[in-house]
Amino acid sequence: MNEGSNGNKELTMIVGVIFLKIELKVNGKLRRAEVEASERLIDLLRQKLGLVSVKEGCGAGECGACTVLMDGEAVCSCVVPAFQTDGHDILTVDGLEENGELDVIQQSFIDCDAVQCGFCTPGMIMSAKALLIKNPSPSREEIRTALAGNICRCTGYTQIINAVETAAERIGECRR
Amino acid sequence: MDKRSYNYIGKNIIRCDAADKVQGRFLYLSDEPFPNALVGVILMSPHANATVRSIDVSEAIGIEGVEILTYLDIPSVKYNSGEWFPGQEDFPDETILTGHARHVGDRIALVMAETEEKARKARDLVRVEYEIMPAVTVLETAADMAGTLHEDGEKSFEGSLCYGDIDQAFSAAAYIESDTIATPKVHHAAMETHSVLAIPRPGNVIEVRTPCQITFGVQHSIAQVLKIPLSKIRVIKANMGGTFGGKQEVVFEVLCAWAANKLKRPVFINTTREETILSTRTRAAVKGKVETAVDAEGLILGRRFELTVDAGAYLTGTKKLMIAMGKKASRLYRIPALSYTGSVVRTSTTPAGACRGYGSPQIHTITEIHTDLMCRRLGFDPVGFRLKNLLKEFEEDLSGGANIGKARVIECLKRGAESFGWEENITPKVSRGRFFTGIGFACCTHGNGYYKTKYHDFSNMSLKILEDGSAILRASIHELGSGATTALAQIVGEVTGIDVSKITVTETDTQFTSYDSGCQASRVIYVCGECARLVSEAAVKMLTQEASKLLDKPVRFSQGSLVCEGKRLEIGGTVREIMKKRRVSIEANFEHRPEMNPASFGVHFAEVTVDKLTGLVKINRYLAVHDIGQAINESFVRGQIYGGIQMGIGMALCEELPYDSNGMPKARNFDKYHLINAPDMPDSEIILIEDGEPGGPFGAKSIGEISTVPVSAAIVNAVNRALGSSLTDLPLTPAKIVEAVADLKK
Ligand code: FES
Ligand code: FES
Repeated sequence: MNEGSNGNKELTMIVGVIFLKIELKVNGKLRRAEVEASERLIDLLRQKLGLVSVKEGCGAGECGACTVLMDGEAVCSCVVPAFQTDGHDILTVDGLEENGELDVIQQSFIDCDAVQCGFCTPGMIMSAKALLIKNPSPSREEIRTALAGNICRCTGYTQIINAVETAAERIGECRR
Repeated sequence: MDKRSYNYIGKNIIRCDAADKVQGRFLYLSDEPFPNALVGVILMSPHANATVRSIDVSEAIGIEGVEILTYLDIPSVKYNSGEWFPGQEDFPDETILTGHARHVGDRIALVMAETEEKARKARDLVRVEYEIMPAVTVLETAADMAGTLHEDGEKSFEGSLCYGDIDQAFSAAAYIESDTIATPKVHHAAMETHSVLAIPRPGNVIEVRTPCQITFGVQHSIAQVLKIPLSKIRVIKANMGGTFGGKQEVVFEVLCAWAANKLKRPVFINTTREETILSTRTRAAVKGKVETAVDAEGLILGRRFELTVDAGAYLTGTKKLMIAMGKKASRLYRIPALSYTGSVVRTSTTPAGACRGYGSPQIHTITEIHTDLMCRRLGFDPVGFRLKNLLKEFEEDLSGGANIGKARVIECLKRGAESFGWEENITPKVSRGRFFTGIGFACCTHGNGYYKTKYHDFSNMSLKILEDGSAILRASIHELGSGATTALAQIVGEVTGIDVSKITVTETDTQFTSYDSGCQASRVIYVCGECARLVSEAAVKMLTQEASKLLDKPVRFSQGSLVCEGKRLEIGGTVREIMKKRRVSIEANFEHRPEMNPASFGVHFAEVTVDKLTGLVKINRYLAVHDIGQAINESFVRGQIYGGIQMGIGMALCEELPYDSNGMPKARNFDKYHLINAPDMPDSEIILIEDGEPGGPFGAKSIGEISTVPVSAAIVNAVNRALGSSLTDLPLTPAKIVEAVADLKK
């Protein structure tokens, strides 16, 4: 959290509901929003900013379908209060493409057939992204651990783990 | 055709929707708000068995824009959510809303507003007073308590299946062995929760968009309750975020269509995870006794089953499922005499329904755990015993079901045992006094459609070859995430020579695609895939005939090309000329009615380490061997198997929906309902046996459902071998394992 940023924030009150004006970066762009104190980050992203790639599978921080990156860390957007993102940097799967090219993780998910119904996929990719930012050459076990909070009912994870491994290899090849 | 020369069959073609899905651009129903739609949430009963004494909606309805429909407004028609065709006569005991709540989560009222948030707030303001009655939660006493739950006087729903001389078999037996085994009530846990959209359209048509598995079944259910013609109900399959059978029966579709029709406004019903867990469907819990008569050499002489199946609050398709379980009992081993009796009871718990395998995971878990325990008690080698009794290719199903087909289950077992190192690892190992390692395996079978059952099975498709040489397969397919649409495109591409990237396969829309029995009964590849192959052949035949007429010269089709006098004709150009000059479009139609329904088989092996102190089970190694005829797309096949293993491990070790004695669900979200995650999953080996099944497209047969069938038994057998225990009450939670260990010490 950037210290006390809400301290001097404007508060508006409409029929008893307190709205906080926040400013955050979403997929590289500065966005302003008015959020209720109880509003969840997932609602801000899906409903106000139209980023419906962020999925809700449980609403309780248990499935990872809603995973986004907050300052590079994977968080469950269904348990993060929206106002806490004031002054922070949010990345969703929509922000991964660069110059019309898929992120290496996205491409690896396609190539390794790591996608079935696709509902867990955006969250899964964001957890993988957070891992590879910190650790570009993880072991299979490290990949498993990084994906521990993301449930997939379709794939049994194997092809997803293969995809993250492949993405790491490809990143490694580029660096070489 | 030589397998190696295939262009597309067996190849890992990338699924057509993969790019959209990794970009988050593949939208599910809840991602796209429909203009002017009311968003509905269901007021669900907090009690397991209670009648509504009074309902006061005045405060909620006072909020501007809120609409409420309650059980007092509904048509009185009762229906059965498992019935997918008129006249199936599944016992109707459910209404779209109810004043007698029969489980926590039962539907009392539908509260709607322009946003979901507002609808939820309004729902909180509805006051309901209930008269609470005793909950029915114990299978053994459910039949006696039936009257408190349902007014229809039915205590239970019985079914049986018998052939051969069962008494003679048991009196001739050298050994009679029996076990009592229980499989749990399981949540499907598709990551997308349930939702449905209904839109009133001009011409009195109601359009329903739903991620479902049988659009024509949804259409039937709506017609039945709303009493409107089928032709006035258009059901479109929406993008699907997983189902596993959970979205096979109608759940909220009829209610949504009724509300939209009544209010003349689009209505979108959405649910949270808790609501999906409490109010949709589950895998049916089964408990019962299996008894086997064996001769001195280890040949099975006869088998008896007495099973009780928990339908939950409404009968749903659970009687169908109970019968299906019995029918599967004679399709794995040669059982000369069989007596199967099943009893379905209703309890005040979330209704059961279809779930991946449709009874197969239950029946084969029961028989495979029993077979292992029996072999241990009698001193038979579990591999040798099974090899003696497993069905051979083209054997008849003694119960009168379809011929077994090109069965390769014996090969599955032999190759699996060798590859897994069965012999070498059979003796359990102990380390540090508390970690016990053991191996286990289980065999299983599943079907390929409905042929030679009570239900009709056919598919009708058309293939249109367009004027640029691309093609559209107009098919009533439900893409569930398994890759069916891409697999069918591969089949069309293989026959027509058209590049897969230029082939579009439609999904089902009851107004525009032709009849199909739906995505159920593991029929999609074997029946729909074969239909796709046959309609492609018909289109190619039409194209060559028309081209011959156009050019007035013989035209042949060979190896994916049109050939005239040794020269290749370009397909698009030829179609254009045919359209212009002959005024004929190239569109063939085909209705495929299968005359076979062979069995698919699988044998899975697991090595587990059980921590005696904590009761935790770790799966060290896993091998799945499947007799699949032919993989259309090997990567898809593997994906199905890995996913099936994930579900099966859950059912073996941690997944269950328990209730307390008041019928209160103990698991309402994934905090208390544990799914296997990535660290818990082993890296599984897979061996595919591809010997070509007659009647399937290029020899292919089913994999999606069967892949989960043997998993739980393989794991339980491994745990029992590791510990020397006889655990038969699934799931094997740490508490049960610790208790079993304590009992063994005594
Ligand atoms: S929806 Fe946020 S963790 Fe499941
Ligand atoms: S692909 Fe369906 S939940 Fe992961």
